[in-house]
Amino acid sequence: MSEAQKKVKVHVDKVNKSYGDNHVLRDISLDIAENEVVVMIGPSGSGKSTFLRMLNQLETQDDGTIVVDGFDISDKKTDINKVRENIGMVFQNFNLFNNYTVLENIMLAPVELGKLDKVAAEKKARELLDTVGLADKADVSVNSLSGGQKQRIAIARALAMSPDIMLFDEPTSALDPEMVGDVLEVMKNLADSGMTMIIVTHEMGFAKQVADRVVFFESGKIQESGAPEQVFNAPKNARLQEFLSKVMHA
Amino acid sequence: MKKTSQFLILSLIAFVSLISGTAYTNASEKPNYVITTDATYPPFDFQDKNNQYTGIDQEILKTIAKREGFTYTLKPMSFNAATQSVSSDQADGVIAGMSITDERKAVYDFGTPYYRSGIGWAVKKGSNIKALKDLKGKTVALKTGTSGADYALSIQKEYGFKVTYFNDSDTLYNDVINDNAQATFGDLPVIQYAVKNGTKLKVMNPKAPIQAGWYGFAVKKGQNAKLLASFNHGFAEIKKDGTYDKIVAKYLGASAATFTGSKKDNSTVMGILNANRNAFLQGLWQTVILTVFAIVLASIWGILLGVMGVSQLPWIRAISTTIIYLFRGLPLMVLAFFIYIGLPGVIGTKIPAFTAGLLTLILNEGAYTAAFVRGGFEAVDRGQMEAARSLGLPYSKSMRRVIMPQGLKIMIPSFINQFIITLKDTSILSAIGILELTQTGSLIVSRNSQGFRVWAIVAVIYLIVITLLTWLSNWVEKRTRA
Repeated sequence: MSEAQKKVKVHVDKVNKSYGDNHVLRDISLDIAENEVVVMIGPSGSGKSTFLRMLNQLETQDDGTIVVDGFDISDKKTDINKVRENIGMVFQNFNLFNNYTVLENIMLAPVELGKLDKVAAEKKARELLDTVGLADKADVSVNSLSGGQKQRIAIARALAMSPDIMLFDEPTSALDPEMVGDVLEVMKNLADSGMTMIIVTHEMGFAKQVADRVVFFESGKIQESGAPEQVFNAPKNARLQEFLSKVMHA
Repeated sequence: MKKTSQFLILSLIAFVSLISGTAYTNASEKPNYVITTDATYPPFDFQDKNNQYTGIDQEILKTIAKREGFTYTLKPMSFNAATQSVSSDQADGVIAGMSITDERKAVYDFGTPYYRSGIGWAVKKGSNIKALKDLKGKTVALKTGTSGADYALSIQKEYGFKVTYFNDSDTLYNDVINDNAQATFGDLPVIQYAVKNGTKLKVMNPKAPIQAGWYGFAVKKGQNAKLLASFNHGFAEIKKDGTYDKIVAKYLGASAATFTGSKKDNSTVMGILNANRNAFLQGLWQTVILTVFAIVLASIWGILLGVMGVSQLPWIRAISTTIIYLFRGLPLMVLAFFIYIGLPGVIGTKIPAFTAGLLTLILNEGAYTAAFVRGGFEAVDRGQMEAARSLGLPYSKSMRRVIMPQGLKIMIPSFINQFIITLKDTSILSAIGILELTQTGSLIVSRNSQGFRVWAIVAVIYLIVITLLTWLSNWVEKRTRA
């Protein structure tokens, strides 16, 4: 139980969510520690993306408590914008701002929110572009980029706010296979640097390699969680076994 | 609630008046009245070749005003609008070949009867209709709000004809000549004058006017007694010294060409253009001014409403939706009449026609603009908003920096389209007497009867302006893309 002694970054207690009759999340509770990398796997419709989007309140819960960085974001009185500044998010479809260049995409939030002045924001943006290997793309329009490039820019954009938590919602699902490696490489470096990361993905190899913990979602519940070796090599839950047999042989 | 809405309407009108520069005429030492008239009613009211209003009515009014020491602003429009403007306090008096009837006496006070008239009916020259009973199943063309129309309706059952309505005499005559309608009922002297000047109609009762009666100058019942007294006093004078007879003889004795220019001017497009250059230019100018103001103000209003339509607050969205629903649902002309003729009676202030027209355009075009602005914002991919919010940007900043710039780009073709529609919609405002291009065309046709050529000229002018507007818009679009 060494994880418990570390500082808790995300605390989720008995969260429920329904869309009409569809009960997508049932009494989910989960704690995530500082510097931890948690990978969430499960069949589509299992609720893992909805759960991830709740952690920065892009989705709201019906009941339950979510505390991030010490802020109770399930409380309507909490200024969610302030909390979001410390939670970066990367989307399946990149969602780069189409009306701005690459550099402007990365600089927008720090400048608009008064975190950095323009000069400092540009310096930081260029450094981040260098980190994701796209320094030469600073001034191009985002529409001229490939999917893999777009996703690396999206990561840089999220990092520009210097968040201490990063959420990834199937970051490689919309990519051509040959682009996946570049994006995972950037994510792995980020994990190595000690970032707290919560990742929804179907990349089992990547999960094995970087995850501190793997969480298996099915039918709106966490059916099993644990270290990757345990989850992948010695699954106890029957549904997890079935899921793994499908994805590993696909 | 009622107070607030009245205040809102008043301040909106004041604002529009201010920017459209049509403040009310200053009171001078002489009383100044607003007098309406029928724009096309020769020989009583019509435009001469210099675009001045003339005719028996106009000359009587002018002479009396000079002698009695008052001034007036003349507002030519359709007969119906001319009389309604007075009953709704938009104007002080009306002189428009208006028959004195008991029904009208309930609403208006009439001055001394000044011209003996009656109803006549006419068919196309060479028509085989010989008597009223031949009208069974046929169509009769009528001018809205006239006593001729009232009479025709009173015998409609008996003779079994259908009716169709027009707002100006010339279009009405042409409808009969083109055999769309087979007969018309109207004031006998007016039809006779048209026939005398070459309109290919045949008057069926030249010697025997139906419901013979008198024309009178009218003010709203119980109001403008001083104006009415001045008119009556002045009329008695000109009747006594023979001026009145001279005026009547001048118009009935001469052919229309004396007043409206020679045949030669009217037989070619160039001739018509030359003879009416100033009228066309003034009409075009009015159309352009209306369009420019309407485009700018309706866009501002529409964008504001559209932004309200994507607000996070449900009640702001509800306000936007309601306003859009209301003003998109109302026909432009109904809105124009409501503002120009309906509203002044409630708020107790005159609304100049230009202001009323501009307000109409802003409200109507603004609602359409708001609808596509809201749609444009909603068409921006949801992910863009989510990405902005996930970075910690508040809703308003996300809208301004991310959603709106992309939405506006999506909307550019809709804006261009709306600009063109606005330009064309200005023509509907001719109904409340704004002398824009279409109304100018009506007036020119009413005195030269050259419908085909004049309307062709007007159509080409509209096409030219629309082409220029489209070029300008496309140029702007290209620049915003770069």
